[in-house]
Amino acid sequence: MRNRPLGFALALAIVLSMSPALFAQSKKPTEAAASASEKASFDPHDLSGVWMQDHPRLITVDARYWVYKFTMEEPPMSEWGEKQFKAAKTSFGPHAYPLAETNDPVYHTCDPLGFPRIYLYPLPLQIVQTPTEVIMLFEYDSLRHHIFTDGRKHDESLGPLWMGDAIGHWEGDTFVADTTNFNDKTWLDRMGHPHSDALHVVERIRRVDREHLVDDMTIDDPKAYTKLWTAHQIFALQPKWTIAESFCEDEQSFESIDESGAAPAKK
Amino acid sequence: MRKCLIGLAMAVFISVGFSRSASAQTKQASQPPAVASSSSDSFDPHDLSGVWMQDRPRLGRVIERYWIYELTLEEPPMTAWGLAQYKAAKSSFGTHSFPIAETNDPIYHSCSPTGFPRAFFHAFPIQIVQSPAEVIVLFEWDSLRHQIFTDGRAHDTALGPLWMGDSIGHWEGNTLVADTVNFNEKTWLDRIGHPHSDALHVIEHIRRVDRDHLEDEITIDDPKAYTKPWTGKIVFALKPKWTLSEEFCEDIGSFENIEQQETSPAK
Repeated sequence: MRNRPLGFALALAIVLSMSPALFAQSKKPTEAAASASEKASFDPHDLSGVWMQDHPRLITVDARYWVYKFTMEEPPMSEWGEKQFKAAKTSFGPHAYPLAETNDPVYHTCDPLGFPRIYLYPLPLQIVQTPTEVIMLFEYDSLRHHIFTDGRKHDESLGPLWMGDAIGHWEGDTFVADTTNFNDKTWLDRMGHPHSDALHVVERIRRVDREHLVDDMTIDDPKAYTKLWTAHQIFALQPKWTIAESFCEDEQSFESIDESGAAPAKK
Repeated sequence: MRKCLIGLAMAVFISVGFSRSASAQTKQASQPPAVASSSSDSFDPHDLSGVWMQDRPRLGRVIERYWIYELTLEEPPMTAWGLAQYKAAKSSFGTHSFPIAETNDPIYHSCSPTGFPRAFFHAFPIQIVQSPAEVIVLFEWDSLRHQIFTDGRAHDTALGPLWMGDSIGHWEGNTLVADTVNFNEKTWLDRIGHPHSDALHVIEHIRRVDRDHLEDEITIDDPKAYTKPWTGKIVFALKPKWTLSEEFCEDIGSFENIEQQETSPAK
């Protein structure tokens, strides 16, 4: 009955860098290395596949910032932004609150996480492409990010959205995705960094080689931050993986996972 | 702020069959949904990709609008256990609906995942995307995903009971046969409260009958809830100008009004 939360707990425990062997078992990347000939050839405009954040095994909670925030450095918050951040009681990171005290908007309700926070869940994402869209399917909570590439403009009439309204175009081999039209019900990350409904996210996504995707993301939100700031994400292709079902509702065992995420690693 | 809700209200209103021109507007179609007849004859029957919407005639009586809350007009053959579950279900839909305050519909008040195949009965479009190894059905409603693996794998029972089930598929001629098992028992089969157990097995025969139409013949096999397998058919029409938008359960504060419209007799 509870196999799934166990799987989730496992995945999380693993990305928190305890055991690559277990990880391999859970996701079945039996032959991690592709043959040399496969490696050499890739289409830089083909972003499709299953991707996972690519981070070295790090032992301090600060070094594992990537499971709860976008940059190690504190972003330059406005007065309003600072106030929001101070009011946020995250259950993550070096100064975590116990779950009972957190005011994280996704706890207790399983509300949609929103974009770009969804990137910070250490579960894979799958990219599929159609002639008019690049679609990111996130394993976590079945969320998705449709980026329209058919030349349309942002559609203001859609109303404030949890995942925003995204359009994209290619500049050479770089895919530039522009997302606006957010509601202000979500946190920007799992730490509680704020955003307003003026949030504008620009991503420059590039398949740097066959197995790696780089996403240089700019956060522009003049209400919450005094200037633009940038995050750099790297994803590794997982050719043998598929994304599974990981709904927020199945995470009754989240509490213990969070505690292990917030506490320093043992080794 | 609440434009999204208006959009939703409109979409539901429309799918109930009131206004085709309004439909085109909501979904940003610059032309009517109908496709030019010249292109109607050419299509690849193994290409299911595109945005599809249930295709139903405009009907006046609530019983004829069964397709927004159940799979067939006929009552499926329930076991004693199934019937007991069904009688305990207080649906806010259909001919004998309960007021929202009294419903025990599992998705109300909590917005927990709608599950499969119930996701088909929420009157929003779906988008199908295909990769060499998968056919993925994306539901506009609640960002749900029905991922059918076509790479020859067997069901993976290690995944634990799932809300959307575990799906594999193969082609028999021009028909995609999708087989879904491994469900949890937390969802209703449809919106009217027909039950299913964790023994539910759903077999779909999906066929693109012409360029603009897709048929999904769905067989429900659940020996705990039903005395024999039973079948219903959903017909979808291609919507070449539509794209999926965001429709999270959490945004539907005004759901009550919409439901009342749907459940009360049409004028």
